[in-house]
Amino acid sequence: MGNKKLWISFAFIILALFPPLFLSQYWLHVMIISLFYVMMASSWNLIAGFTGQVSFAHAAFSGMGAYTSGMLTVYLGLPPWLGILIGTGVAALLGFGLGYLCIRMGGIYLSLTTLGFSEILRIIITNEDQWTRGTMGLQVPGFFVEYSKTSYYYLFLIVTILLLIVIYKIIHSEMGLTFRAVLNDEVAASSSGINTVRVRVLAFAISSAMSGLAGGFYGHYLMLITPDVPSLGQMFLVLAMAVIGGMGSFAGPIVGSFVLEILSEYIRVYGEYHVLLFGLIALAMARFAPEGVVGILRKKWRREWA
Amino acid sequence: MSELLMYLTNGIVIGVINAISAIGVSLIVGIMKVVNFAHGELYIFAGYFSYHLSVSLGVPPLLAMPLSIFLIFLIGIGMERTLIRPTYGDEMYSLIITFVLSIVLQNAALLIFGPYPQKPPNWVTGAMNIFGLYHYGNQRILSFFISIGVLLSIFYLIKRTWFGKSIRAISQDREMAALVGVDHLKVNMLAFGLGAALAGAAGVVLSPIFPVTPSGSSSVSLNAFIVVVLGGMGSLKGCVVGGLILGILENLGAAYISTMYRHIFGFIILILVLVFRPWGLFGQKTQ
Amino acid sequence: MGVIIEGKGLTKSFGGLTAVKKVDFHLNKGEIVGLIGPNGAGKTTLFNLMSGVYHPEEGTLSFNGMEITSLKSFEICRLGIARTFQIVRPFLKMSCLENVLIGIIGRGDPREGIKAKGEEARKLLKFVSLEGHEKNSANNLTLIEKKRLEMARALATQPRLLLLDEVLAGLNPSEILQALELIEVIRTQLKMTIFWIEHVMGAIMKASDRIIVLDQGEKIKEGRPEEVVNDSKVIEAYLGESDA
Ligand SMILES: Nc1ncnc2c1ncn2[C@@H]1O[C@H](COP(=O)(O)OP(=O)(O)OP(=O)(O)O)[C@@H](O)[C@H]1O
Ligand SMILES: [Mg+2]
Repeated sequence: MGNKKLWISFAFIILALFPPLFLSQYWLHVMIISLFYVMMASSWNLIAGFTGQVSFAHAAFSGMGAYTSGMLTVYLGLPPWLGILIGTGVAALLGFGLGYLCIRMGGIYLSLTTLGFSEILRIIITNEDQWTRGTMGLQVPGFFVEYSKTSYYYLFLIVTILLLIVIYKIIHSEMGLTFRAVLNDEVAASSSGINTVRVRVLAFAISSAMSGLAGGFYGHYLMLITPDVPSLGQMFLVLAMAVIGGMGSFAGPIVGSFVLEILSEYIRVYGEYHVLLFGLIALAMARFAPEGVVGILRKKWRREWA
Repeated sequence: MSELLMYLTNGIVIGVINAISAIGVSLIVGIMKVVNFAHGELYIFAGYFSYHLSVSLGVPPLLAMPLSIFLIFLIGIGMERTLIRPTYGDEMYSLIITFVLSIVLQNAALLIFGPYPQKPPNWVTGAMNIFGLYHYGNQRILSFFISIGVLLSIFYLIKRTWFGKSIRAISQDREMAALVGVDHLKVNMLAFGLGAALAGAAGVVLSPIFPVTPSGSSSVSLNAFIVVVLGGMGSLKGCVVGGLILGILENLGAAYISTMYRHIFGFIILILVLVFRPWGLFGQKTQ
Repeated sequence: MGVIIEGKGLTKSFGGLTAVKKVDFHLNKGEIVGLIGPNGAGKTTLFNLMSGVYHPEEGTLSFNGMEITSLKSFEICRLGIARTFQIVRPFLKMSCLENVLIGIIGRGDPREGIKAKGEEARKLLKFVSLEGHEKNSANNLTLIEKKRLEMARALATQPRLLLLDEVLAGLNPSEILQALELIEVIRTQLKMTIFWIEHVMGAIMKASDRIIVLDQGEKIKEGRPEEVVNDSKVIEAYLGESDA
């Protein structure tokens, strides 16, 4: 990491320590949710932005994480951290299995199957209500004995930062290089000795595990897990955050998550129009500025400084 | 016994409509390697169009039907021109764009038509006694024959006409097709419109039987995708056989195992196909 | 001198068109063999079969005595066959150094450290005269530089057999001379076997030990360069092309 980048990240982390001192409980909640979306959008970006595969099961995997951990803590009395760990593992395994099945057939199959998986998961969760409480939602214990938004904020901040560090390391590792090679040109990568199917499955499993982890924490923060967590609506929000923020860049999904989550709080005053609006913006972005907000800003700055 | 026969008949009727819807997806995948995730929304829109045309505007149902399909065809053409065309060759963006479009259309449907299920009026009433075994609704019988008619016209269109030949030329070899003078931009656009129109046709035919709601769109898309994978990407015959298999299995499964899980049977089929025969029943095992 | 690669009865068709028809061929270790033929003869398709991009409908391929007919590209590459592409395919959105690193990573040897790999990649870039371009995006290179980058990426996989698809096309005479020198160095210093498609006749005739001629998917002639140029079937095949 360049020195300048290191300092900027450091400054952001320091700044991120202060919000609980002056934000209301409501806005602190918005911040916590934004951090959850940062984890979701950044880990989705790891496969979509860096290997070019579109998974529609990212929200579903976060739901797997949330429900697995939730049910383990409720029915078996496991501590949340252990539940989350297992939930992450379940998401990783499922991701590996689905990825293994579809990816050898190509990206279209992955998208179709993950979409199907999301739908099926929703149907199962809604119908198996003796275990999941269906649409009523499953009440689960929180992470802390004493409920405090401030504690949750710091918890989410730490987990998010750790996750982002892992993602950064992956992107800048040999593995990340193979991700980009596969994205750039599959045939050339394969002819250079890269096992492209393995790379794709690996990327998918890692990214799914990350969303399982994020979902696990999310569930124990909300303390009420509903089928909305693994829904396609949620999937759309995550996707829109990455697309609008800027796919294929490290900062894009982070920016996208905060901007869209905060924006949706303002729009919600007028009714549930935020999905429609974000959809239209995402379409315009994907069409005219595929590098996203971050890409636009970067170009502009480069022009001004050069 | 007659109960089983009735479920089978249901499966076949639904199966034929599945086939129409799946051909809509398959055509577009075959020619432009684009999966239209907004397929189900087009189906839903068609259902609402035909409802409002006949109920709110008083157009006779049998006229409202082609009119709705035509509107969906125009929407399909518009989609291709504005959003899909710039993504050719970039699989990732086409997947993202059609998915976002599906969410946008779903929300738009919710805003425009409201959340309530709507059902265009039946074209016919009453029921018919089938071989003295059981009674079957005339509406379903008519839907079946209309669907067969649509199916036959599609086959005629693709096997016999200029348009069909261009489509096949392009799906086999884009460059060659361009060399022999096929205007692939025009063919793409028409094919996308046709794919959309087929979603519309399925919606129009089925909505008098199963009312449409904005939230029902994703299972429509999913059904079509499962049929396409089961039949083999790009195979018309596969769509028909796959559509029938899915229709029959879902109806028998719903009747004898569980109604709640009718959509799960489809997903199980999808996974089984991916495990045992990922190129599908009639698909080509490429390379 | 043993046989390094051998193909028997290779056939590959696209739709109704048979691009490669029952082709038998072999290369000896250390040879430079030229593959020529009019446009559309099936040369690139044969390379695609040898590198696992496509798999033949009929026939077998063996490399160092081992059957590789149905192996995947990356497996074939790891066994020791590397290639360049007629229409260049460097990783455009990656730097030159990263392009070459992929070839090194592609060897699949986990023992090497990232530092050593970086050093090696730099050396390879220097070897193909691309020093100073390490951080430059491959997209910014000229055509000849892209071709050299692909060559470096292929060499990075440490192949025993190198497949070169029209590396001279589009180069001017002095660039062709440079490229020929490079190929000679690869053969003598790195001791690789080279199989080489080229339309620039003078160059390939001078540099090759042996020439294989394809026409409409079939092998119509094989022999020393001077035998091939005077062969009536070969002349006819090329004349047929200029008529068309
Ligand atoms: N992927 C493909 N799909 C369909 N046809 C193909 C494909 N690849 C090659 N062909 C056809 O196979 C034939 C042989 O092509 P190939 O590229 O092997 O020829 P070539 O000898 O390399 O020609 P050139 O000298 O022009 O490079 C051509 O008619 C070509 O159109
Ligand atoms: Mg060629």
